[in-house]
Amino acid sequence: MKKNVLLFMVLSAFILSGCKDGKSKLYIFNWSYYIPDTVLEGFEEEFNTKVVYDVFESNEEMFAKLRAGGTGYDITFPSGDYASIMINEGMVAKVNRDLVPNLKNIDENIIRKIKYDPIMDYSIPYMMGTAGVAVNTKFIKDFPKDFSIFEREDFKGRMTLLDDMREVIGSALASLGYSVNSVNESELRQAKEVVLKWKKNILKFDSASFGKGFASGEFWVVNGYAENVFLELDEDTIKDVLYFIPKNGGTMYLDSMVILKDSKNVELAHQFINYIHRPEVYAQIADYLMLPSINVEARKIVKEIPTYTIEDLANNEFKEDLGSNIELWDKIWQEIRVQN
Amino acid sequence: MKKINYGKIYTAPLTMWITFFFVIPTSIIFLYSFLKKKLRGGVLWEFSIDGYTALINQSFFKVVWFTVVISIFATFLTLLLAIPTSYFIARSKRKNLYLFLVIVPFWTNFLIRIFAWISILGNNGFLNNMLLSLGIIKSPLMLLYNQYAIIVVTVYTYLPYAILPLYSTIEKFDFSLLEAARDLGASKLQSLFKIFLPGIRSGIMTATIFTFIPALGSYAIPLLVGGQKSFMIGNLIARELKVTMNWPLASSMSVVLTVVTTIGIFIFLNTNKNKSELKNEN
Repeated sequence: MKKNVLLFMVLSAFILSGCKDGKSKLYIFNWSYYIPDTVLEGFEEEFNTKVVYDVFESNEEMFAKLRAGGTGYDITFPSGDYASIMINEGMVAKVNRDLVPNLKNIDENIIRKIKYDPIMDYSIPYMMGTAGVAVNTKFIKDFPKDFSIFEREDFKGRMTLLDDMREVIGSALASLGYSVNSVNESELRQAKEVVLKWKKNILKFDSASFGKGFASGEFWVVNGYAENVFLELDEDTIKDVLYFIPKNGGTMYLDSMVILKDSKNVELAHQFINYIHRPEVYAQIADYLMLPSINVEARKIVKEIPTYTIEDLANNEFKEDLGSNIELWDKIWQEIRVQN
Repeated sequence: MKKINYGKIYTAPLTMWITFFFVIPTSIIFLYSFLKKKLRGGVLWEFSIDGYTALINQSFFKVVWFTVVISIFATFLTLLLAIPTSYFIARSKRKNLYLFLVIVPFWTNFLIRIFAWISILGNNGFLNNMLLSLGIIKSPLMLLYNQYAIIVVTVYTYLPYAILPLYSTIEKFDFSLLEAARDLGASKLQSLFKIFLPGIRSGIMTATIFTFIPALGSYAIPLLVGGQKSFMIGNLIARELKVTMNWPLASSMSVVLTVVTTIGIFIFLNTNKNKSELKNEN
């Protein structure tokens, strides 16, 4: 008899948990640290749903996972180059703009720069930014405010560059005055020599934990995304940090929200995108990331001063899809990584 | 009465498990390594040896060399630490307690343990702070992000895998043999090298295999505690798969890694078998 009671309890537990799972779910595949939890919780509460949030570290990783059969996600956040690849490969669903009225809040000057999807048929801009350089001014007082800081031998072993060829070779190309999307072999060879000069002085190529290393005082100069650096810092250490974007330009990105083709929750996905671009919600995100707002209405209500402004990005260039020329980049990057 | 061979039935789940999760994936890797690459991941169903010809270049050999050297050092150090530890445990009265302590780290996720090492060896870490407060050093030492850090963390990670098989061999070792050797005039060192170590050879072999092979395939350790030069085969394979998306090349590297380790184990086991056969004849 006792056994039956136990069985009943176990079964009812299953049934109850089944009820809970009956709630609709939105599967989001996004960069780490890219949406504050409060925003997700707000969405869950308002739309009586559950958000499942998985993270990736790079566009390539996201793309490879989706390519290798990672299905079940509703929304992901590719940067421009990958948004255009995914649109061309037919991996994303068309956006029904009628369901996203808040699109009107997005800065038109930015939309005008999008070449691959000019009228937001498939991708809705989320955040715009760049990978600059963070410097710990407690240890370093005098330094050039561009990538030539990586040539300074007195900071040897205290600096990191991103483990991302588009960023690093792109910055080298920009420092030589070339386009960050160059596919000219001699320009790329020159950029390689520049990166090799930087490589001599850096501790490692790192995209995963430079923020933590910077916060603990290990790294004094890191190349990376502002939010990854600042979210690791506390009130006390933040005053010693200077974040700059080289004046001679570099790469920049526009990350967009796309609804994946095999999404099972298309309507909820639209509601999510619309929710993100609500001014008060977007302001929360911009404040959390301390990045410039691309949502015009939200600019009026943000509380934090962003790490840099959209004007600071005037000389920067969007990364574009390189097509099959990517193989040349791969080759050069491999040479950089393995050469001593 | 017909005798039923239960052995096959008992091992059926294991056989199935290995077929599904080892043989099939390995065959897929083998197959992919002979196909043409597709831009941005995937393969084209055309025969090609591009995956292998691309391996013949200096940079790949450099990475292989680095990987092998690191793995050999790590294995050697692991054995150096594991043999005395296992000896101690086997001779101790509180075997169970010590064995339990060896297993305790497994309760924590592998990555978290690597991060624990980062906070021990880091600039603001435990070790540097201790040395600073003792006045031994004036500014923090850079202990992380180099090949030594990789070796330290690798040794730490695989130490339990070396201790356990060594312990089980040493426990069965007949220690009166050592006394006999001493009685017959062998020095302490002689009895150690001529009696004890050959006697626990099978344990040493297992421990070597358990350390060396996973070390060859390291990925997370060089990624997190290695420096700008610390690129191991595992990292290269991950890069080809995830970043450059050249699946055939990633597959051919994996095949080479698998073949090399298999041949290595084969030779290793065979030389040992010959030796033990010789011993039996004597």
